[in-house]
Parts: sequence; C-alpha cells; structure tokens
Amino acid sequence: MLKYSLKRLSSSLLTLLIIVSVVFILLRQMPIEGYFDNFDKLDQASINAKLNQLGLNDPIPVQLWNFLKGVMNGDLGTSARYSVGAPITGLIAKKAPISIKLGVMSMALSLLMGIPLGTAMARNKGKFWDKIGTMYIVFINAVPAAVYYIFIQMYGTSALGISMLFDLNDPITWILPVFSMALGNTAYYAMWLRRYMVDEMNKDYVRLARAKGVSGQNIMMKHVLRNAFVPMIQYIPTSLLYTVCGSIYIESLYSIPGMGGLLVDVIGRQDNPMVQAIVMIYSCIGIVGLLMGDLLMGMIDPRISFVKKEGAR
Amino acid sequence: MLSIKDNKSKKLEAALAEQLKKDLDAQAAENVNEDELFVLADYDAFAGEKTGYSNYSYWRSTLQVFFKNKVAVFLLIVLASLLAFTFIQPHLPGQYPANLINNNPQTGKQLSNVAPGLTTVVANVPAGTQLRAKSVKGNDEWYAVDNVMESLKARTKFDIVEYGADWCKIEYKGETGYVKNNFQTKLKLPDDPTAVPYESRSNFKIEMYMQPQDYTNDGNALYAHKDQLTVDEKGNAVAKEDLELRVIPSEHAFWFGTNNIGQDLWARVWSGTRTSLIIGFIVAFFEAVIGITIGVLWGYVRKLDRILTEIYNVVDNIPQTIILILISYILRPGFGTLVFAMCLTCWLGMARFIRNQIVIIRDRDYNLASRCLGTGTAKIIMKNLLPYLVSVIMLRLALSIPAAIGNEVFITYIGLGLPVDIPSLGNLINEGRKLVTSETLRYQLIFPAIVLSIVTISFYIIGNAFADAADPKNHV
Repeated sequence: MLKYSLKRLSSSLLTLLIIVSVVFILLRQMPIEGYFDNFDKLDQASINAKLNQLGLNDPIPVQLWNFLKGVMNGDLGTSARYSVGAPITGLIAKKAPISIKLGVMSMALSLLMGIPLGTAMARNKGKFWDKIGTMYIVFINAVPAAVYYIFIQMYGTSALGISMLFDLNDPITWILPVFSMALGNTAYYAMWLRRYMVDEMNKDYVRLARAKGVSGQNIMMKHVLRNAFVPMIQYIPTSLLYTVCGSIYIESLYSIPGMGGLLVDVIGRQDNPMVQAIVMIYSCIGIVGLLMGDLLMGMIDPRISFVKKEGAR
Repeated sequence: MLSIKDNKSKKLEAALAEQLKKDLDAQAAENVNEDELFVLADYDAFAGEKTGYSNYSYWRSTLQVFFKNKVAVFLLIVLASLLAFTFIQPHLPGQYPANLINNNPQTGKQLSNVAPGLTTVVANVPAGTQLRAKSVKGNDEWYAVDNVMESLKARTKFDIVEYGADWCKIEYKGETGYVKNNFQTKLKLPDDPTAVPYESRSNFKIEMYMQPQDYTNDGNALYAHKDQLTVDEKGNAVAKEDLELRVIPSEHAFWFGTNNIGQDLWARVWSGTRTSLIIGFIVAFFEAVIGITIGVLWGYVRKLDRILTEIYNVVDNIPQTIILILISYILRPGFGTLVFAMCLTCWLGMARFIRNQIVIIRDRDYNLASRCLGTGTAKIIMKNLLPYLVSVIMLRLALSIPAAIGNEVFITYIGLGLPVDIPSLGNLINEGRKLVTSETLRYQLIFPAIVLSIVTISFYIIGNAFADAADPKNHV
C-alpha cells in the first residue's frame, strides 16, 4: 500500500509539473496588454522597461524556472489589472476560504440528498420513486447547468423573499448557492448508488440473508448499501470537479467573493498573471482529487490490491 | 394510463382464449386415430433450406427495439422536426433576419423589448373613429396613424370644458379635444367644478387627443393598413371598418418578442439553435474521428500503449472546463476557437472506452484465427472489432451533442464565447440572464432556455434509448 501510494504520489507530482509548464508556456502566447493596467498610454520604451522588470523578455525556460522558484516560496506573482500590484497569493488567500466552505457544504449536502434518493430508487425499482428519480437525473444530466442555476436564482430568491445576491453575513443567502451546486452531484450519486445497489440486491448472499429471515430493512442497510457504497468512492474526484465547475458559475451568478467568481472577473479584465495562477490552482485541485480518490479506494476496500500477484498476467 | 391498462387486459383475455382453444383442440386430438394425425410430406428443397436460415439482422432488431420505446420515438420526432425547422425557418415567408435591428420607421427608434405575441396589433378601433394619418417612407401599403390633434407647448393656456380624473375635455383655439390628466400634466381642479369652462395650463408639453384614448404607443405612431382608412389631403383619416392598429407596418408579428435593441427573438432563437446544433454536430464528429482513431491505436498497437496512457493521464488530470477556459482565453473568441477547444478534450472518454474494449476482445480466438489466416490489421479492426462497439459509440455521440451545447453556454457565460452577432443558445441565454430582475422581460431568457432544454433532453433520452436498443442482450 505504501509503495503504491508513493508511486501514485510521484506520478501526480510529475503530471502537475507538466501541466504547470504547459499552462505557463501557453499563456506566454497571450498579447502583452494583459500585463499592463494602462497599455494604451505607454510608449514603446516604458513598455519594454516594464516587460524587462517583469522578466517577460527572458527566454521562456528561464521565466518558467523563475516562476517555479516563486511558487516554491509561495509567490504567484502580482496582479496586473484586477488589483494593480497586489500579490496574487494574498488576493486568493482572502477568497479561497469562502469557496472551500461553499464547496464542502455543497458536497455534504449532495451526499445527504443523493444517498437517500439512490437508496429509495433502488428499493422501489421500476415504481413511482424510481421514475421520479430517473426524471430528475435525466434533467440534471441533459440540461446545461447554467440554465437551471439561473432559474433557481430567479424563482428561489423571490420565493424566499431574499436578495438575488450573496451576503457573507446572512446565512439565508447561502442556501440557494449551496443547494444549486449540490444538484449535479446529487444526481450523480443517486444514479450510481442505484445501479450498484440493484447489482448487489441480485447477488446470492442477499437471497441467503432473506431466506435466513433477516428483515428487509436490515438487508438494505447492513449489506446492500454498505457494499454498494465502496465503489462510490471512485466518484469523489469527479464530484470534486463538478463542484469546481459549478462554483465558477454559482459564484459569479450570486456575486460570491470566492475563487470561481474571481476567475470570471479576471478573464473579463484580461489579467494574465491572475488567470495563470487560478487556472493552475484549479488544475491542482483536479489532480489532488484524482489522487485522493485512488488512495481512498485502496484504503477502504481491502479486496483491491495494487501489488502484482504472483503468476498474474 | 387507462388505455394502457385496457390494452393489457385485452391482451390477457386474448391469451386466455387462445390457451382454452388449444386445450380443446388437444382434447379433440386425443380421440382421433393416430394414422389420421400425420401425413407423409414430400421432400421440399425450399422448406429444407428454410430452417437453416435465420433472418436475424442486427440493425433491424436494433430499430425494432428502439421503436418500442414510445417516449424516445416521440422525442425523435420532436427533435427531427425541430432540426428541420431551424434550417427551413429563414426561408419561410415573412421572417425577420436574426441580426436585423427593427426600427419604427416613423421615429427611427429601435423596437426594443416588444412583448411576445401572435400579432402586432396593439389596439382595436371601431369604425368611424377619426385619426390622423401620415404616409410611411418607402412603404405605400401602410399609414402611420395617431389621434393627436395638436401638440401644445409647455405653459400654453387652454380652457377645460369638462374635468375628469384621467382625461379632461379641453378647448383650444376653437377646437375641442382631450388631454391626459396624470402626474405629469397635473391639471388643477377648478375652485368650483360646476363653473366650466375655466382656464388652465400644463407645466409640460401636452398633447391634445381626438378621443379620451391614446393611440400613439407612447409617442410612437401606430400603423394601419391603407385599405381600412379613408384619408384626405390634410391627413385627416376615418376608419372605414373596425381598424387594427399595429406597432410596425407589417402583419408579421414578433412571436417571441424582441430584445433590447429591437432584434426579432423568434429569428434569433432559431438561428441560435442552428449555431448550437452545428457546434454540437461538429464536436461529435471530431469526437468520433479522433476518439475512435486514438482508441483503436491505443488498444491494438502495443508499442503505443505506454505513451498514450501517459498522455491520457496528463490530459485527464486537468478539469475539462479549465482546458476549455484556457484555450478560449488564449485564442481569439469565435466559432473556430470554441470548436477547437471542445475537440481538444472531447476525445478522451471515447478513446479510453474503445481502448479498454479492444484490449478485451483483440486476443479472442476468432481474432487470433483471423490473424493466423493473414487478415490485415485494418480489416480486423474494421470488421471484427468496431462493429462490437457501435452501440456505445452511438451513445457517446448522442450525449456529446448536449454536452457541447452546454459547454458553449458555459464558455459564453464567462465571457469567452461567440460574439453577439452570431446568435447561439448560449449567447441568447446569457443576454436574457441580465434581464431576470425585470418580470416583463423574462421572456428573453425563458424562450431560449425552453428550446435549449428540449434539444438537450431529447438528445440525451434518444441516445440512451438507442444504446439500449443496440445492445444485443435486449434483442429477442
């Protein structure tokens, strides 16, 4: 297990390095306006001076090396347009906690909604609740998130009688963003849980338990749900990605001062260093999510072995 | 629901009756002499062939199973007609071009935020009503009409003949007419209401109408067809019959209303659906081509396995959304960029699936046999491997169209999508989103959202139904 974890970790680090380099090189291809807050008013000499000062006239490998050195010291550069001259780490440090809080809340909420929904669907397979659940899953999967997010905001805020925008100090305004972000993951959990539970229910040990006279409730909770839950672990990375993507929408929709909204803001203002930093952070989240999913899977299910068995082909 | 139950009970009845009949026949047969039961048949070559031949055809069975799914068939019809309509719509008579800014020809103002409706008629006037008509530039079919007799400058004095809460009858230069009495004009009450007429004036410019009703559409003239009016040289007109007054000199209505710069939303929605569908189809096409090619190479060519696995791991580790954002940010926003960004990531899932399947079936005995017999690699892939995967390939393609449309909406939402002069569903929803605070303008979001939902849900359900149908396990 340890050996596997180390191997998996090192490959993740390598991937991270590759991704950071690729993103860095790609963003060097951007027009240089994105590094100035007053590009139109400057003459050629001062532009060059600023570029030199930022190190943008150096060859790309040197720039990359400097950037990586900076990252190691916790320095992601300074913002060019969004908040001129401010260190990006500071800007993000202020915003990240809100995003993390919202993300964790929505993931918890989606588990709270998704597991009962999936269980109910599996227990009533082919009946009313199964059909309702399937309709919900089809809707969430088929319709682009932007559309139902907007409608939830539009009708939800007027139904609750609250402002359309987010207020950090007013917990009621947290409800709709967290709920909207949880919808996608809820559908995802419910869909897979239902599938795994139906698979488990058809297995012999369940039939044996029933023959022994174990109550239906007990079979469901102690055997079926527990066994069906193990493969769900591998969906954690994907659900993390869903949350990240949802947060970009939701945060700018409700003007939540978090990272997702910040990304939309800095894209609108073409602030290259900020875009670079946030894109890299999001890529890291993706990699960490996948890594976590793999490691958790290995820890939780003892049947999975990562060591090659003798004689295995 | 009831009809389904009825059908079922009828079927059951029929089955029961058949069973009874069979039993009766069997009883009757028991009483018959055995020799009479069988007759020796002559040898028939045709009948002999018949048992050795199965008319099972994969595609026919697939279609049969698919057409049993009523919901999917219904949605298929909806989707097909919608698809056809998006391409036919611009060629139908009386359609406005999607990017045309419709102006009021009299005032030159944009016809912005016209509410959706089936007609352009905003008022009906009984026969004999007096109006004033002006000819419309470049259009001799229609008159611009209103019922303003005269515009009085601010602080003009006039006599009020009859005071009312909404309208006051006034006399000015020997003519009687009506003026609005509202918060703006603030006509003062007489000290003694019976002592009419009395002198009054307004602090603002005020209009004198022929009837206590305003047919001017907030100062923009309305339009009437010339056949329904008699007009003299001075421009005084009388309605010959019951008259319909319209916002524009045309009978073609804005069915979905107009947006805030006066573009016809109906045309824009269909044009946008067309753009979005084209994006979806192109992305699906590239997903098929790139995904299948890479997947086959990855699975079949052992030397490439390691490299491609590493590449896949790297690309798959970044959230696809982030790749989309990054590419759209670096390149100039536009149709090509959007499609390119989506194609860059769309092949991943397809390639991985095909690779896994091919690894499973490439060394099955029949493929081994094929290879021993000297069948070329290309032929083995085309004939032995890919037909296995048709159902799932179709499913992924059907699902990638709504996904591409959704991505387009997302990218447009964060401000990196298509320019507004190329209407797309993402563009329209993004435009409509800015107006959600105003209840009267929400239609600009709701119409594109409904069309978008119909398209994506249809593709999703049809794709799933087709995948189920294409799975040979479901063939009887």
